[in-house]
Amino acid sequence: MEEYAREPCPYRIVDDCGGAFAMGSIGSGLFQGLKGFRNAPQGMRRRVMGGVSAIKYRSPAIAGNFAAWGGLFSIVDCTMVGLRRKEDPWNSIISGAITGGILSGRKGKATMVYSAIVGGLLLTIIEGVGILFTRLSADQYRNVVSPPNPQDAQIGLDEFTFGAASANM
Amino acid sequence: MSDDFLRKPFSLAPAPAADEATTSNYASGASKFSSGPVSPYLNYDSRYLQRAQPEFIFPEGANKQRGRFELAFSQIGTSVMIGGGIGGLAGVYNGFKATNALNQTGKLRRTQLLNHIMKQGSGTANSLGTLAVLYSACGVLLQYARGEDDHVNTIIAGSATGLLYKSTAGLRRCALGGAVGLGISSLYCLYLLAQERGNSSSPKFL
Repeated sequence: MEEYAREPCPYRIVDDCGGAFAMGSIGSGLFQGLKGFRNAPQGMRRRVMGGVSAIKYRSPAIAGNFAAWGGLFSIVDCTMVGLRRKEDPWNSIISGAITGGILSGRKGKATMVYSAIVGGLLLTIIEGVGILFTRLSADQYRNVVSPPNPQDAQIGLDEFTFGAASANM
Repeated sequence: MSDDFLRKPFSLAPAPAADEATTSNYASGASKFSSGPVSPYLNYDSRYLQRAQPEFIFPEGANKQRGRFELAFSQIGTSVMIGGGIGGLAGVYNGFKATNALNQTGKLRRTQLLNHIMKQGSGTANSLGTLAVLYSACGVLLQYARGEDDHVNTIIAGSATGLLYKSTAGLRRCALGGAVGLGISSLYCLYLLAQERGNSSSPKFL
C-alpha cells in the first residue's frame, strides 16, 4: 500500500469494484476455507477437500456481491460528486444508503429501507473512524518550516505549510 | 551547477518584464528579490525553494513505475465488469429465448428476464474476476519474491493462474488449464515485446 492513492472519479469505479472483489474473494476464501474445514467429516483428506470445495463454491459468489456493492457505491459516489460539486463524508454516507437500497430492490420496500439504513450507518461508522484517525494523526505530520534567515520569515511563508492531512479517505 | 542551471531559463525572454513587475509591485522589497530569479507570478521569495537538490524530475531517473499491486485492482475491476456485461447480454438473449419458448408474458416474463440476467451476469463476472484475482495475486507475490517486474513474472503468473483455477478438476484438466494460461500469457508477452521494439526503434530513426 506504499503508493496507493485513489484514482480520479470515473476511473475510481473500476478500481473500487476490483478492490471490493479482491477483498471479498480473499477474505471469504479464508473464512469459507476454515468453515468447510471445520464442518467436513472426519479425516484430514476429507477436511482439506471440504475446505477447498467450500472455497470453490461459495467465495466467488460472495466476492461478486462485494464487487457489486463496491462498484455501485462508487458509481453513486461519483454521481454525487458530479451533482454536489464537492467531496465530503456526506457523499459516501448518502451513497452507502442509496447503494444498500438499490441492491435490495427486488426484495420489497421494507427491506430496501432497512438495508439503506444499514448501509448508511456502516458508511457513517467508516467515515467517522477515518476522520478520527485523521484528527489523531494530524499532529504528527505537522510540518515546521524553518527559513534560513528569520527577518524574511514574515513575508508569506506562514501560509505554505505542506503536509496538513486532508480529511478524506 | 544548480545556480547556472537555474538562471538560464529565466534570463532568456521574460527577464526584463519580471524585473519591471517586481520593482513596480514590491517597491519596498525590490532589493530583496533582485538576487534570485523571481517570477512575477510568485508571491513569495523563490530563495526559499531548495536549491541544493535538482529542481526538475527527469523521466530517466524514475525507474520505479507503478507496480503490479497498483494495477491489480483496476485489472480485477475491469475483468469483473467485462464479465458482468458479457454475462448480462447472454442472460438477456437466453431469457428471451426461454420466455418465448414458454409463452410467458407481462410481469412473469420481466421477472424471469431479470433472473436470467442476474444469474448469468454474476456467474460470468465471478469466474472472470476470480481468474483476475488469482493472476494478480500470483503476479504481486512473484514481484515481491523476485524483486523485479518483467515478462517472466507475467508468464509464470499466467500459468499458475491456469493451474490453480483447474486444480480441483483432475490432473489432466489442471495441466490443460496451465497450458492455456501459459499460452495466453506468452502471446501477451510477445505482443508487448513487439510493441516495445516498435516504440523504442521508431524515435531513434526519426
